[in-house]
Amino acid sequence: MSGLEEISEDERVRIASDFIKAAPPGEFKEVVNDVRVLLANDKLLTRASGVFYDYATEQFTTVKLDGGDALITKEGSLDGSKRFYDPKTGKSFTYNYLKNESSEVQEEDREQGEEEKWRSAIQDALKPYLDEFYPAHVSAVYGKMEDGQVSLTVCVEDHKYNPNNFWNGKWKSKWETKFPSAGGYATVSGVMSAQVHYYEDGNVQLLSNKKVEESVQMSDPAKAAANIVEFIKKSETEYQMAINENYTSMSNTTFKALRRNLPITQTLIDWHKLHGFQVGKDIMNKS
Amino acid sequence: MSGQQLDCALDLMRRLPPQNIEKNLSDLIDLVPDLCEDLLASVDQPLKISKCKKTGKDYLLCDYNRDGDSYRSPWSNEYDPPIEDGSIPSDKTRKFEVDANFAFDMYREQYFEGGISSCYFWDQDNGGFAGAILIKKTGDGSKKFRGAWDSIHVVEVQEKGAGRNAHYKLISTVMLWLHNSRPESGSMDLGGSLSRQAEKDAPVTDMSSHIVNIGQMVEKMENSIRSTLDTIYFGRTRDIMNETRSLVDLKGKEKMDKVNRQLAKALEEKNKKTVEEAAATAAAKK
Repeated sequence: MSGLEEISEDERVRIASDFIKAAPPGEFKEVVNDVRVLLANDKLLTRASGVFYDYATEQFTTVKLDGGDALITKEGSLDGSKRFYDPKTGKSFTYNYLKNESSEVQEEDREQGEEEKWRSAIQDALKPYLDEFYPAHVSAVYGKMEDGQVSLTVCVEDHKYNPNNFWNGKWKSKWETKFPSAGGYATVSGVMSAQVHYYEDGNVQLLSNKKVEESVQMSDPAKAAANIVEFIKKSETEYQMAINENYTSMSNTTFKALRRNLPITQTLIDWHKLHGFQVGKDIMNKS
Repeated sequence: MSGQQLDCALDLMRRLPPQNIEKNLSDLIDLVPDLCEDLLASVDQPLKISKCKKTGKDYLLCDYNRDGDSYRSPWSNEYDPPIEDGSIPSDKTRKFEVDANFAFDMYREQYFEGGISSCYFWDQDNGGFAGAILIKKTGDGSKKFRGAWDSIHVVEVQEKGAGRNAHYKLISTVMLWLHNSRPESGSMDLGGSLSRQAEKDAPVTDMSSHIVNIGQMVEKMENSIRSTLDTIYFGRTRDIMNETRSLVDLKGKEKMDKVNRQLAKALEEKNKKTVEEAAATAAAKK
């Protein structure tokens, strides 16, 4: 049990930040509001608000951008704070975390190097795959040159928010690879995650994630893109199927082993008889 | 301000991942120490186990058998660590508590085939009495599949009609925790709790009637929550996940749905025709 002495302001900011970072998908505003009331000190809340960036980039929060959708990610950050870039449209924008809105949209005339032909090939190859398996996907493919190598990052997100029915869910995945511009074999590493929150008369959450890695051939942009998307498709399908299998076995095995539907007698307990055992035991003890 | 803060604290506990309940509750109490007692009373945590120093039997810890930092064993009726003037039930209530522990021990064995149960009862200021019935079961499956169940039932009893009737109010929370670490699915954690309430009136002849009435109410409630847990955990959360990414190629699914609709329509037409022909034949015979 915690001692009830006053904790420091730094500790208060730490706690507020931890709470905000743990907000389930689609419930950022509600959690910030709760924290604001509990913190009861807007100066400290402003200090904690540095965590908004960490939360949104970790979650791949989506935002409307000129009639389309863009992702908030670290790779797309221009200043580590409020300016972000969307590689698909080539636009940059200012992001308002609490309103979840974009503004000050600008066309970026970015210098494009070696990486662009690989980046755009993946972006093109990715779309038909996402259209096939995701009802409402938002994605971003980032490319840059780093230490003379092509560095690519793919971010994918799809969510379904239904707070009126007390549930929210999100799927996201991130894929990274780095290779010399001449091509060759390269490791593609991915992290996939699924989170669901159900909160009608309770609080139930699914938290799941999986890391994968494979060596993929990058001979030319088109072939590399096809190989990478094939790897993504295989990994994500396998992962989702495995989660579904787990659900079945958890329900049939683990859950049943915790508590039976009914006693072995297949009838409800006769509580009058149960008490009879107690009385009998008392009588036996007394004799 | 404090009322609003408690509401926000409870709202927060309903949103933060239940997998981190203990850390979240501890941080919350540090942040708003004035709410400490209210939070400990209203936020359910996974039940902790302790061993009775006198009888060697396990018992469960909760706010209802806590006094300061000590907990009372339902077997020995003593506090650990020992304290002076620790709150204990009256003799009559203690006798009832002993009977209840015995009865629910048998209930636990029949439904859970293992696990631990503990019952704590106390007198209410309004002349009635109240109690908490707790059950904990952990699955001893392989390391890859782990599970735990925590039941927390809180019942209030108000005797009426010169002791011939009683009104029972039950608030039940069941926490269910499942963890899976098969390499194909990475790390998978499905956990949390659901709460339900019920009220009923029932006849009373003596104290043992309360055991029967409360027992039947708890059994019915737990069976109902168990069924709901099955639907929510293994049905709804699974469906929601599958709505964020489809297992089946959506374009292919669209095509299949179209084919199925055409098939259904064709079958309907065929049945309609068969019925019409049969009716015409029957009419012709008259």
